[in-house]
Amino acid sequence: MKPLTTCISRRHVLATGTAVIALPAFESLGFRRCAAAAAGATPPKRLVFLGFGWGVTEDEWYPKIGEPGAGYGLPAMLEPLAKHKADFSIVQGLWNRLTGNGHYGSTFWLTGANEYGAPGQSFFNSVSVDQVAARSLGTDTRFESLALDCGEAAGGSGHGPGLSLSWDSRGKPVGGPRNPVEAFHRLFAKETTPLEQQKALLGQRRSILDNALENARDLGRSLGTTDQDKLDEYLQGIRDLETRLSRDEKWIGAPRPEPSLDEPKPGLAGREEIALMYDVIVAAIQTDSTRVLTYRQPVTTLLTSMGLKTEAHTMSHYHGRPGDVVESSRKRDLAQSELLAGLIKKLKDTKEPDGSTLFDHTTVVYGSNIRTGHSLDNCPTLIAGRGAGVKLGENIVVTKGTPLCNAWLTLLKGSGVNAGSFGDSTGELGEIKA
Amino acid sequence: MQRLPLIACASLACVLAACTGAVAASPPRAVLDAGHKEFLSAHCMACHAGETPEANFRIDDLPLALDSVAAAERWQKVLGALNSGEMPPADEPQPEAAAKADFLDVLAKTMVVARKSLADQGGRIAMRRLNRREYKNTLRDLLGVEVDVSDLPADASPLAFDTVGASLFMTASQFEQYEAIGRAALAIAFKKHAAADVKKQFRQEAETTLATFKKANEKLQTNQQAAREWFKKLEAAVASPENAAFVAKTRPTLKSEEEFKFHWRSLVGLPAPDDAVPKSGNNPQFLTAILEEKRFIPYEEHYLSMPGLDTGAYLAVPAGPRAPNSNSRLNLDIPADWPPGEYIIRIRCAARPEAAPDRRFIEFGHRHYGDRMPAISAHHVTGTMDAPKVIEIPYTLTDADSDPAKRRFAFREIGTGSGVFAGKLFDEGVKANGIGPELAIWVDWIEIERAIPAASDVPPGITALQPLLDTQNADAIPPEKAKRAVEQFIAEAYRGVKPAKGEVERLAAIYAARRGLAAKHEESLTETLVSVLSSPRFLYRAEPGPDDGRRDLDGLEVATRLSYFLWGAPPDATLRGLAKSGEILEPAVLKAQTNRLLDDPRSAGFVEPFVSQWLAMYRLDFFQFDPALYPKFDNSTKEAARREVYETFAWLLSNNGRVSDLLKADYVVVNGLLADYYGLEGVHGDAFRKVAVPKDSPRGGLLGMAAVHAMGSNGEHSSPVERGAWVLRKLLNDPPPPAPPNIPQLSRLAGKSLTARERVVLHQEAPQCASCHRKIDPIGFGLENFDAVGGWRTTDSSMAINADGKPDPKTKKTWTIDPAGALHGGPAFKDFFELREIVAARPEQFARGLTAALIEYALGRPCGFGDEPLVDAIVKDASSHDLAMRSFIHSLVQSKAFRTK
Repeated sequence: MKPLTTCISRRHVLATGTAVIALPAFESLGFRRCAAAAAGATPPKRLVFLGFGWGVTEDEWYPKIGEPGAGYGLPAMLEPLAKHKADFSIVQGLWNRLTGNGHYGSTFWLTGANEYGAPGQSFFNSVSVDQVAARSLGTDTRFESLALDCGEAAGGSGHGPGLSLSWDSRGKPVGGPRNPVEAFHRLFAKETTPLEQQKALLGQRRSILDNALENARDLGRSLGTTDQDKLDEYLQGIRDLETRLSRDEKWIGAPRPEPSLDEPKPGLAGREEIALMYDVIVAAIQTDSTRVLTYRQPVTTLLTSMGLKTEAHTMSHYHGRPGDVVESSRKRDLAQSELLAGLIKKLKDTKEPDGSTLFDHTTVVYGSNIRTGHSLDNCPTLIAGRGAGVKLGENIVVTKGTPLCNAWLTLLKGSGVNAGSFGDSTGELGEIKA
Repeated sequence: MQRLPLIACASLACVLAACTGAVAASPPRAVLDAGHKEFLSAHCMACHAGETPEANFRIDDLPLALDSVAAAERWQKVLGALNSGEMPPADEPQPEAAAKADFLDVLAKTMVVARKSLADQGGRIAMRRLNRREYKNTLRDLLGVEVDVSDLPADASPLAFDTVGASLFMTASQFEQYEAIGRAALAIAFKKHAAADVKKQFRQEAETTLATFKKANEKLQTNQQAAREWFKKLEAAVASPENAAFVAKTRPTLKSEEEFKFHWRSLVGLPAPDDAVPKSGNNPQFLTAILEEKRFIPYEEHYLSMPGLDTGAYLAVPAGPRAPNSNSRLNLDIPADWPPGEYIIRIRCAARPEAAPDRRFIEFGHRHYGDRMPAISAHHVTGTMDAPKVIEIPYTLTDADSDPAKRRFAFREIGTGSGVFAGKLFDEGVKANGIGPELAIWVDWIEIERAIPAASDVPPGITALQPLLDTQNADAIPPEKAKRAVEQFIAEAYRGVKPAKGEVERLAAIYAARRGLAAKHEESLTETLVSVLSSPRFLYRAEPGPDDGRRDLDGLEVATRLSYFLWGAPPDATLRGLAKSGEILEPAVLKAQTNRLLDDPRSAGFVEPFVSQWLAMYRLDFFQFDPALYPKFDNSTKEAARREVYETFAWLLSNNGRVSDLLKADYVVVNGLLADYYGLEGVHGDAFRKVAVPKDSPRGGLLGMAAVHAMGSNGEHSSPVERGAWVLRKLLNDPPPPAPPNIPQLSRLAGKSLTARERVVLHQEAPQCASCHRKIDPIGFGLENFDAVGGWRTTDSSMAINADGKPDPKTKKTWTIDPAGALHGGPAFKDFFELREIVAARPEQFARGLTAALIEYALGRPCGFGDEPLVDAIVKDASSHDLAMRSFIHSLVQSKAFRTK
């Protein structure tokens, strides 16, 4: 193989997948320079998806339908975002029409899939929008994408099945760091092992993965197709690790970037945990460690961390239940809005090498497949950031029943991803384009 | 249009009944009765028909058979539009409410049938990986260690058992977690093995705490004196002319004179708070808090006047969050250098004659357990001052050298880990005698001892590796011997399945490469074995075979299915022996082994996961029950209530009792703690046992259990809807369809004080709600005599919420509970007891639900329509054995489905 000298050819190699190809030992610092130079010209586009499970307090979260455009009155639950009113838009009227489970706020949020879409299976899902984006946006970074999660707290938080918001191209769940500490370590852990030993260890790692792969193949030879399908998850897992290993090999010797935050303390839950994870997200973008992130946020622990006793699912059924239940729902909304305001502020305050800010090149989507209770229509959709050419500062009301995937397609295209359609999209969502 | 036979009818039970009579096992088709089209033609087809229908949605050509995903989707759209109230449009004539409810009922149920048929796997069982708990148990049996698996994704969901293969995924990050856990498990196993003969024992005499107690008491008195004097000086400083100007300026900003304390820096002549009470952080509020602790002084003096302080100590009650720790707990720390392994913790203690029955319990747990962190266990103190008794608590120390906090333990009186509870108890004591709560528990000593494992306890994985572990010079091990050891380890790890071709050689290469990197023998060995523990043969239960041909399982596969079913763990040597010889395939041997597994304590690995998932007990962990509202339902009592469900099931399993006892019984299975909670006398100790209940008792059977009612609450109030739906799902086997999305919400009665019944009756106003709630709600109301924690009550009350979001006592409304009602389209009942009779009179429905759950759990796939003959056969056989618990298990294990790939 030729030595790689340009960004294009390197990107090409990465994009074609390099599971078991021994890569040429190109000069790693040159590689780093290459990525940095590319970033220097125009800062890259980033996409961030934040999912919050059990919906919102609808009457006080959505702007009035009758007040479209920039002149809308900010609803009480978005009040903490007042300073940033010009930095985001609310889009109303979108939904994933094929979804029907009132307890799944995240499973199909970024996929738009039909749970019952495959005969003979009790569960079906398809690729999520972030993973589609990652395939193009993630080629130059240490991590193609990062799917952040909240671990055990995801259980009662109204997310539904999955390991994060992300689903791979085969419709299988994508896992990732489950708390800020894990995320921090994944991104910024310092490598203290000498370079030669690192290389040797990577070689060792490869032989361990090869062994696992061989074992799986050997087993697979005797299996029928259904079982083979199950074993494929294992094989795919190993291949993903090998791909990651190939990436690691390319980045070997390139120092891990200095993060803009200290190592988070372990054991934080709820509000502080989300705030820290947002800091990690900003640091990941700032250091160009990855350009696509999703975060499945905790709701149960958010409530307990604020001293609220209402159980999260009960809270989502606050209708007709005044007192603690609706109060918890409001406090949840306000806390989530405050946290989001913090994230937007950080993105605006952090400069790119060319003097622009992270906010100028990043799109943050904040929402859920659940509006409130078991309602899945007009699901809450807030878009911030200038990364995808979305109109900001407006209450954008689209035709009721417009596919949410139209919005996802628009964000993909606006972020420079070449996509013809996505999920059940029927076209781009012109209304949100600036 | 051709009329189709009526197959789907008003209830799912009826659908099932229609096919249970059939000999062939063809799944029922989800077909709507053509008659229902009349409803649609009356209300929908004026617009949604013909070539150019409204919204491009045609109803007139909708197929009545929902036998494709596309047809199901179109009907789902109809269901969705009716449920959301979107259709018919508001300005069109609306269907009559009852007709709409009936139609929605049929359509929703038919959708359930359609989804189930469309998802049917045709009896195929997908290969699956070990789920989280099976993986944990498998490492336990292989290496003799308990590992922390909380990093792995949780497999259980409210929708399917954690054994269902289709939802057990595998990802790259999970593979890495398996590696990490495998590495940790091996490290602990090696340490444990190296320390197999290490003896450790330590006894702490409780009276040694007396000196500390006295010192703390003196310090409290000294500090109080100092604080009192400081406040006097504060008064003087405020009055002093030197400070007059400052005082005059500041006073208007203060709520009370006392608040001058926060301005101590500005007041001339006043010493710093730290000068009065060292380490107060110069915070005057700290001094106030010390003064508020004055009520401890009489309590502590009372303590010091008690007999028995020379030979032991009392467990005192902390009076609240700020209480000094004067023997409100007795600590036990395991030194950092004690190796992992099995330990026994003992406490010799007694209850004083003055102790009320509900205060004769202690808790053991990590040092700071309380509201949020439950104790590890609770124990009934049955010893007396004349004859104290020793309580033994086995404990597995797993964290070899990590977190010291995990080596710190404490004993307390039950419930007192909660500040709110302890404060309440203390206040009651002060009210009764002016001093504080009676001292209830006296402790002689606490002891910990490391249990030396017997040679027969050495786990098979370690036995295999022994030649590689007990060596000073690894390089001297002959390669052949090393290879044999690894092969033996693989045989154990893979549960008798042969390794892959070339696997042993590859492992040898991994070991050699690691040594080549200058790693030590043990580290290299660990890395090599980690590969075994993350191999697909370890992580998956494979039953190889071609696609189409179903085949009989071989002996090893049957043994493996059996042990994971009844233990959640790998087959032991006996099972594998019988598998190898093929004897396990003989029905009599299989039956005997089934009985042996059920008699083994490891069957807890079936009872707990099965029962908790079958009965949807995850709801019990949804809530933190408020100790102010429900002081008796503390964390330990909640755990005992949870255990009652398992122990009752386990009792039926060991005694081959009737499963219908779960619907109604004249006994409960409880321990001392729960008996006290239920007000049953004469039950002593921590073991659960069968106890007869009076004839008029609401206890006995699932409907009398505290856990069941606590699950059917929101942590504060009972939830008739949760309870009614649970009874339909679990006891009557007539599950309502899943709650539909996009139903209009009811808000119009916010701010009113309503009885539970008034509130829920609202459900029945709208037909889309009534279609299910008319079945759910009457049952829920029939259970209203149980409060949110399963206590019996005859009245309930509520308050409206005022503008500040607080309950308004002026609106408090109390009412006598009226449990009377009738099952929808079924018999009436006047109270809980009659409702229980109605439920208990339908044991076969209950048995069918239990059977379907067992099939799903044991086979690891949904119980489909194709399984109906199996369900029939199992229930029929069980019925001929008086619904004996084991007959269900035996029929299932002996069935073709269980023994076929």
